[in-house]
Amino acid sequence: MTAISFAIVLIALIGHVAGELVLKKAMDASNSAGFRSRRFVVPFSAGILLMTVQFFLGLGLLQRYDLSFIYPFQGLSVILITIAAAVLLREKLTLQLILGSALISVGVVLVSTS
Amino acid sequence: MQSKPTGFTNPWLHLGLSIAFVTIYEVLLKLGAAETAHLSDRWSWTGLTGLASPYVWVAIVFVILSLITWLHVLRHIPLSIAFPISQVVHALVPLGSWLVLGESITSLRGCGIGLVLFGLAVVAKPVARFEERL
Repeated sequence: MTAISFAIVLIALIGHVAGELVLKKAMDASNSAGFRSRRFVVPFSAGILLMTVQFFLGLGLLQRYDLSFIYPFQGLSVILITIAAAVLLREKLTLQLILGSALISVGVVLVSTS
Repeated sequence: MQSKPTGFTNPWLHLGLSIAFVTIYEVLLKLGAAETAHLSDRWSWTGLTGLASPYVWVAIVFVILSLITWLHVLRHIPLSIAFPISQVVHALVPLGSWLVLGESITSLRGCGIGLVLFGLAVVAKPVARFEERL
């Protein structure tokens, strides 16, 4: 794996995590402020943009590497998104949620690397 | 908090649909990526050369469907609960490949599938508590 591929993997991962977070923020705003509010439109557009970028970067990686090489990085997104949702969106985390997410992360990495 | 959505607007139904759509598009994308892997060295890092494959276009339809159902999920369920559950695709894809395509599952991969399912069982308890509050 070259340095540029590694950078693209990282950018795709960060794009995925950030995309999920702003989309969640947008949908929460849609509940309280409706679909025409700036509080919905701005994070929603940012989320769609981030998801589109990480989609094509991921497709580019799929062309070059096996699925099994790319997917362990997706496993990381489970635990990253769960923690980021707690820290940035103030969602309530329980010990079980953290433990379950960590187990799923390890499971995804094992499925991908084997 | 709005009233609990039922019937077709039930967010848990949409979570299931979203998971099914993701499973379908992941297989389609791999087929499309394999087909277009050597089209252009210069542009392949962007992934845009994948658009030459019809598989990728059908996959994009499923990506959009999964996004629409996922957005409905996000309106009602916390991200820290919905996202871990959505990762069941990582157990479903190898199980589906085993059942439908006859691919083998190594013991290590079997352990990984077991861990994902065990993790889901652990997550299920906070889900039950969240449902009570809804």
